[in-house]
Amino acid sequence: MADALQLDPGKSEKKRKALSTTLILFIVLVAMVAVFSVLSRDFYSFLNLSAMLTNISFSGIVAGTLTMVLITGGLDISIGGNIALTSCLVAYLFNLEKPVPGWALVPIALALGAAIGAFNGVFITRLDLNPIITTLGTMAVTRGLGYVLTKSRSILIMENVTGFIGRTVVPGIQIPIPLVLMAITYILLFFLMEKSKFGRKVYCIGANPAAARVSGIRVNGVKFILYLMSGIAASVSGLILTGQTAVGMPQHANGVELDVITAVLLGGTALSGGKGSILGTLAGVLILGVLYNGFTMIGFRYVHIRVFQGILLILIVALYELREKKRY
Amino acid sequence: MSTPALPRESNRMKRRSIGEVLLYGKSMLPALVLLLLILVLFFGFTTKNFFTFGTYRAIISNIPVIAIMSVGMIFVLLIGGLDLSVGSILGFTAVNVVLFHDVFEKAGIPLAWIPWLVVLCSLALGVILGTINGLIITRVGINPVITTLGMMAFARGLSSWFALGFEILKTGRITDKVYLNLARQYLPSAKIPAVPITVVYLVVLYAIAIVVLRYTRYGRNAYAVGSNEYAARLAGIDVRRIKFVSYIISGAMASLAGAILVAQLSLGRDDAGLGSEMEVITAVVLGGVSMAGGKGNLFGVIIAVLILGVIRNGMVQLQQTIGLSYYWREVVKGLILILAISIDAARIMATKRRQRVRQ
Repeated sequence: MADALQLDPGKSEKKRKALSTTLILFIVLVAMVAVFSVLSRDFYSFLNLSAMLTNISFSGIVAGTLTMVLITGGLDISIGGNIALTSCLVAYLFNLEKPVPGWALVPIALALGAAIGAFNGVFITRLDLNPIITTLGTMAVTRGLGYVLTKSRSILIMENVTGFIGRTVVPGIQIPIPLVLMAITYILLFFLMEKSKFGRKVYCIGANPAAARVSGIRVNGVKFILYLMSGIAASVSGLILTGQTAVGMPQHANGVELDVITAVLLGGTALSGGKGSILGTLAGVLILGVLYNGFTMIGFRYVHIRVFQGILLILIVALYELREKKRY
Repeated sequence: MSTPALPRESNRMKRRSIGEVLLYGKSMLPALVLLLLILVLFFGFTTKNFFTFGTYRAIISNIPVIAIMSVGMIFVLLIGGLDLSVGSILGFTAVNVVLFHDVFEKAGIPLAWIPWLVVLCSLALGVILGTINGLIITRVGINPVITTLGMMAFARGLSSWFALGFEILKTGRITDKVYLNLARQYLPSAKIPAVPITVVYLVVLYAIAIVVLRYTRYGRNAYAVGSNEYAARLAGIDVRRIKFVSYIISGAMASLAGAILVAQLSLGRDDAGLGSEMEVITAVVLGGVSMAGGKGNLFGVIIAVLILGVIRNGMVQLQQTIGLSYYWREVVKGLILILAISIDAARIMATKRRQRVRQ
């Protein structure tokens, strides 16, 4: 409450806090890279780092938009279902009797993501529904539609139509395309959140929705746009995943929402809204990526990491809670 | 909040149209019963074999697992919380039931005792996991969504870990007749399998839960905490303890459901109950329990569980009759969840509008 009343003096202080958190996160990141490089000989190799970053970019793009949704106090857990449905639809359309041409697949996929995002947005803003439950429902609907489309099988994409999104590299400098897409997303989102009017509105809604409404911000409009963006980002991730695996299947990205939410919260965003930054999320995404990759390189298996992930999520939030308490 | 009842109000209440009952009525029960009837009729006319004993048995034996978890979930939703970890706790219990059973069998404990010991141990497991949830939420003060999301990953990860680590979990099969009879007996007799024993458990459990929610101090306090936590604290209620107990109940119910599921399937695997938290939340919210807490009862939840059961079975029969893909079930489930909370929201809006008009 107090934050919103003194928005201007509070903001500089809040910004300093956010920056210092981000700084700590990046220091942790560098330290972890150093530790894993010592522990595993293969970790610090071009091949591994490039593979790791390509893997990260798939969940990283969604994490960026989810940060904004979380800052307004919302949540979107339909991203996994959205990604799966995108991959299914692309594979399905390409394997029709008369295949949809490759160039048309990208806009169709993006339109699908936008439609799902708009669906979430309309229900959450117009009917004022609980975002967790609404997107839980959308998750079931999208994954279910994926099962319907593919009849619960995997549809292979034999020709290299979507591969350019997932598997190719920028000629000359060998940077994978997904990484480029993620970089573009983060640069855009960074400027949107830090430098534009829209970003300020987002922070304001998160800090105090009632005050935001009174001061003339169209709260529902802004929230709708955020869910729309989240949907579109998920379909971009879906395209990347389809490109990487060349297969559309409804089980794709199962449980990815946990990875993404963990990354966003690690970046200092609060689930209660009003707090968080794009840079913090970037750090969170990178740290988690390095952590999982590093543990795998040392010889842990996926199930061990999964157990660890649950504990990590709670620990992260507990640490932030502690930090907050110390401050006041 | 509510306007004081005027004398002519009571007269008005008596002459309400059906629409008014559905929209403004205190309980969602009439609307739910209507929905159930419509669904039964719909499936009855669109499929060939819906009105048969087989359908009845399929529906009635599929219900208990979700219904038992719903009992736990209502306690959590009433206090304004959420438990996303129930599906994973169920899975973890399922894996452990097989392990417990194996251990007890090798220890030479009489076969007749084993089922009860196993159920007791699994309940203890659920209580432990629920306690961890409750401690983190009430003592450390972390958001229930995050906590139970973490527990969801943790418990599911542990069960996969166990499944990789123990030889007996490669199949996860339980062949002990005594244990399977926990869920496979029928009343009145094996020749006339009218009521499965699991439904009897269910009736007992619901009776206990309804009594606890209505007539005990804990139940009333839970409603009070859910409708206004601040006021409840001022009134001297130990809010943290009430919440803590709710998460324990939720964990215990999830593991009880797990023990019964293993007996039903004679199989305990690490992916048991994957995604069932969604179905449970759908049932409870569709049953009229408010996500905001403090509102709802178990009568609505029973009807909602029945509705979900009818849809699940009806979709299978639709596939057999007209070839509609069975996988539409997931889509329908998701849409119903959204529909359920939309109805809840619409009812709140309608009531508010009416109050404003009257003033």
